Amino acid sequence: MSTAMNFGTKSFRPRPPDKGAFPLDHFGECKTFKEKFMRCLRDNSFDNSKCRLQSKDYLECRMDKQLMAKEPLEKLGFKDLMDQPGSEKTESKP
Amino acid sequence: MLLPLLLQGCCSKHGLRVATSVLSCIRTHSWKALHSFPNPCEVGGQARGPLRSSAEAFLCRRMPCRLHVQTRGAKSRKNQRQTQEEEWKQRNRTVLTYIAAAGVGMIGMSYAAVPLYRLYCQATGLGGTAVAGHDTEQVATMTPIKDRVIKVTFNADVHASMQWNFRPQQTEIYVVPGETALAFYRAYNPTDKPVIGISTYNVVPYEAGQYFNKIQCFCFEEQRLNPREEVDMPVFFYIDPEFDEDPRMARVDTITLSYTFFEAKEGQKLPLPGYS
Repeated sequence: MSTAMNFGTKSFRPRPPDKGAFPLDHFGECKTFKEKFMRCLRDNSFDNSKCRLQSKDYLECRMDKQLMAKEPLEKLGFKDLMDQPGSEKTESKP
Repeated sequence: MLLPLLLQGCCSKHGLRVATSVLSCIRTHSWKALHSFPNPCEVGGQARGPLRSSAEAFLCRRMPCRLHVQTRGAKSRKNQRQTQEEEWKQRNRTVLTYIAAAGVGMIGMSYAAVPLYRLYCQATGLGGTAVAGHDTEQVATMTPIKDRVIKVTFNADVHASMQWNFRPQQTEIYVVPGETALAFYRAYNPTDKPVIGISTYNVVPYEAGQYFNKIQCFCFEEQRLNPREEVDMPVFFYIDPEFDEDPRMARVDTITLSYTFFEAKEGQKLPLPGYS
């Protein structure tokens, strides 16, 4: 679809990701965090706003296991979650 | 073409002398007619006076001949011709000037078109050039827009010759602009050989694609799966907050993210669009 060379049609140009590609998690080191995140999504009818804490935990796991470049959490859009310590029990958004 | 025949037909009645004089008149007339309309029979010299034959009259009716133009004198006729020539020269000069100006204008426009087109592309976003709404630093400072909920659906495809099982782990997710979101795909290699895949993505609708920013994903890089291996592939993305302010996006509620995996063979360089 994006390679249709029609004159005048706007074709989609994919952009590379801002921070590059995730290395593959061959050994499933962060699989538990992923499972928690997916369970949270299913429980909350796939509302992302309710599962941000779990996604933050998953990304922190990736950073710890060298599967992701270490970044301060504000740069990943988790500024509002920085105030609370990483805990799966508490509600993610104030 | 018919004229000589007619002439011969007419002149046969009136004698050869008429014919030759009229023919010479025609010859000189047709040659000089390209430049001006002189009195051809003046040049010919012979076909005046008593030669008002029917052939001549016929010819003079058919051709713009000035055989019988009786102006005041030769000098005033010459003056008239001169002024007319001058007039034509003047007109030609103005036309040439206009044409030269148009040519220079075209060349100038082709040079000016380069920056103008770039401005136009930036304003309208045609051709996929960078438009407003893509600033990597804004991730830290953007605030989510809570009242605009967008459903992002996920689609996964593989190329026909690629044997991976590739599918999304959630069919949809509800996000708001300005909030980062995480989504997962799963890939499984059922073969006995390691397979290297490389993927690209597509966002539908087209105009929403410029607001769909991926912070990190698994696309455009070779991903190697060992035999019988299954991995989770995350996509970390957000929708730009300016999405809410774009009038063209006012009725967009669903964005579909579609990934396609291709097999990367050793030494083969896939031409992925838009990625240098």
